[in-house]
Amino acid sequence: MIVFKNVSKSFGNHKILDNINIEFADNTITCLIGESGCGKTTLLKTINRLIEPTTGSVFINGKDISKENVIDLRRSLGYAIQQTGLFPHMTIRENIEIILKLTKKKKEAIANRTLELMDMVGLNASEYLDRYPSELSGGQQQRVGIARAFATDPDIILMDEPFSALDPMTRSALQDELIRIQSRYKKSIIFVTHDMNEAIKIADKIAILNEGHVIQYDTPEKILKNPANDFVKNFVGPKKIWSSPEFIKVSDIMIEHPVTCNPEYSIFYCLNKMRIAKVDTLMVVDDKNVLLGILYADVFTNVSYEHKKAKDFIEKDFLVTHPEDSIVDLLDLIDREKITTMPVVDSKGHLKGLITRSTLLTYMSQQFIKGDE
Amino acid sequence: MNFITYMSENMDQILSLLVEHIELTFLAVAVAILIGVPIGILISYVKKLGKPVLALANVMQAIPSMALLGFMIPFLGIGTKPAIVMVVLYSLLPIIKNTYIGIQNINADMLEAARGIGLTKWQILVKVQIPLALPVIMGGIRISAVSAVGLMTLAAFCGAGGLGYLVYAGIRSINNAQILAGAIPACILALFFDYILGIVENLVTPKYKKQGKVSFFKRRGFQVSVLILTILAFLCLIIYPVFQGEQAKKQITIGSMDFTEQEILSYMINDIIEDRTDITVNQRLSLGSSTIVLSALEQDDIDMYVDYTGTIYGSVLKHEPNSNVEEVYNISKKEMKEKYDVNVLGDLNFNNTYTLAVRRDTAEQYNLKTISDLSAVSSELVFSPTLTFMERNDCFLGLQQVYPIAFRDVMPIDGAPRYVALTNHESDVIDAYSTDGLLKKYDLVVLEDDKGFFLPYHAIPIVNNRVLEEFPEVVPILEELSIYLSDDVMRELNYKVDEEQQRPEDVARDFLIQNSLITEK
Repeated sequence: MIVFKNVSKSFGNHKILDNINIEFADNTITCLIGESGCGKTTLLKTINRLIEPTTGSVFINGKDISKENVIDLRRSLGYAIQQTGLFPHMTIRENIEIILKLTKKKKEAIANRTLELMDMVGLNASEYLDRYPSELSGGQQQRVGIARAFATDPDIILMDEPFSALDPMTRSALQDELIRIQSRYKKSIIFVTHDMNEAIKIADKIAILNEGHVIQYDTPEKILKNPANDFVKNFVGPKKIWSSPEFIKVSDIMIEHPVTCNPEYSIFYCLNKMRIAKVDTLMVVDDKNVLLGILYADVFTNVSYEHKKAKDFIEKDFLVTHPEDSIVDLLDLIDREKITTMPVVDSKGHLKGLITRSTLLTYMSQQFIKGDE
Repeated sequence: MNFITYMSENMDQILSLLVEHIELTFLAVAVAILIGVPIGILISYVKKLGKPVLALANVMQAIPSMALLGFMIPFLGIGTKPAIVMVVLYSLLPIIKNTYIGIQNINADMLEAARGIGLTKWQILVKVQIPLALPVIMGGIRISAVSAVGLMTLAAFCGAGGLGYLVYAGIRSINNAQILAGAIPACILALFFDYILGIVENLVTPKYKKQGKVSFFKRRGFQVSVLILTILAFLCLIIYPVFQGEQAKKQITIGSMDFTEQEILSYMINDIIEDRTDITVNQRLSLGSSTIVLSALEQDDIDMYVDYTGTIYGSVLKHEPNSNVEEVYNISKKEMKEKYDVNVLGDLNFNNTYTLAVRRDTAEQYNLKTISDLSAVSSELVFSPTLTFMERNDCFLGLQQVYPIAFRDVMPIDGAPRYVALTNHESDVIDAYSTDGLLKKYDLVVLEDDKGFFLPYHAIPIVNNRVLEEFPEVVPILEELSIYLSDDVMRELNYKVDEEQQRPEDVARDFLIQNSLITEK
């Protein structure tokens, strides 16, 4: 756990960080994001004391880091930056091992650790270890950078825009790689970026900074759906949610009060209800709002329905979806099953809402129509 | 052709001077590296020091090397010390500058990354900054080393030897073969240093900077072997003298000024003492002017040398001109003991005084026999004296007061080249030493000092107290030698060296053998 208490940093009269209070949880990826000059890199560098705060303190696991030996502190933290971070005159092996070698570990252990790290970042050890950074592609260099940050197996890893100089394809691959590594090693990663897509993709939590303040600190989903203010809204961008459709939930788009009927209602009554509500299906629920089946209007053609009740025509073989399902799952299901209507129920079978093709269409068209907002 | 003959005849001497030259240069450059690189590193950390240090190094570079060398002799004596110090001071600038630039130019982000991952300042310096700056630093060292080879030729001026000895000896006696014998090896040596350091530069440049296929001569293996061979050869050169056996304890060091007669005398004294006694004699040839050699004697860098009464009396003891031979000698002897605590021995029986000389055609044209004759027509003539002659009270300054002399132009040229100027009709009158072999070589007319202005310049050995106390047997030997010397003899011997281009050591030896002063071995 990293805790910032009233941390400010000024260069002359210019306040880079203004009374920051924030906590970074263990075993999560936290992204610091904002425009250039917002203080995100400064915030990161106060953690390994490349920058000392003007006032306030930073605590790691309850200890004030300003009272620790700065070299020991830095060696206990992983640090990866843009491509320039590798030393060009050292081979990949030397780059990865540089700190390990200073810690008086046994040669064999160091060699094994290096192989492990190369494996972790998906580089062929025998092919690359004795090459120089300039002989590797940008993406490969950055993998080495990550390997070096992980070398001493630190609990906390600081990353300062590590992927920003890479082409989109490589960047995306490395983001996936980082997520994969994180799912296995569970480090506390503080990751500075200026790319909202990147933050949404990899972060457990995002801190948005502006002019030395933390404007919003929340999960990607909440930031996308509930921007704290116009700044965040603008920063995130109006259509940003559509680049992360997994954050759009069924509950966000469903018709919340679908037209229902009781199984004991007469068909006549049901048909009348459909006509008034201009729907062609009724959700059949019991008194406790538990979904029993669906009544389709088209079953009544060519059939005598006098004195019959809803329960006689109920369609009990149907698919349901749940409020927490994402729009991605839903589209997939609808596409596969060729269905037009899908009730939304909770885990106990209570009817929560309804999804139809037309609600989906209406919602999804927003991203094109309301784009100018 | 002349040059090749000279080279083959003097191979031993050239090689030993070359070795000396290599040792001196290597030592100087090594010291410059040891001083320059840390200073360069220091000023890249302490930014405030940068400008003043670089400015100082620049100034050092701007001082004429001769002046720097001359300036240091009173403090450091003669020999290798001032030569090395001079070359070190000259070599510092490129080394300091390149170290500074090399370290400054390292990407700041990378240095921050180095700090960020937990390297200490020292580790960053040793593991990151110096390795990355090394190619640039090596570039500076290369420049220094090449210029040091050239500069080190000046070492001959303060008796440190080296190839410069041949160059200056050659200039003095107008012997082009000898100049080339010094200059060409120096040039090759400079190129060789450049090549070897180029290899080192290449080896320390991290592989990441190189691209494409490398030729055989640039392969690591080849370069490493060349380097190792060079280092081995080097060690041999340096270690070899150590195994030359214990140095004899009975030693005398003779110094000499930088002209032919002095060298012949030095070889004579060397040979005769070594023949008659068990004393080992070392020679420090061509140290420079009388002042330099005298200061070397005072510092006990040398034990003895031959000076001239007029020089001692006039320029050292600053007495007014005096043509009384005996008085000049006695006063010189007495006051040298009092003021410098050195001992003037009996004179060597020849007078190498100043004189003025003209071409035979000039003498005939104006019917010149004496300096008085000359002063009458001096307004039509150009005078090219040595620099020393111009400045001294007992030379040109005094001469003008005694004779009503006023030349059309005065064009000072040092050393033997003024004879060339004279024969090329660029000048008409020169100053000369009365025993100078070149007078005979160029068939010049010596003008009589009819008013007796010039001081007598009788050759006198001057020795320190150690020689008198430990080796009194030297004194009678020198007295015996003086019996065989005279103005004519000296001029003849000088002529053999300057005109016939015989080696001074041979001329000296032949003379001693002919007069049965030593036994032929």
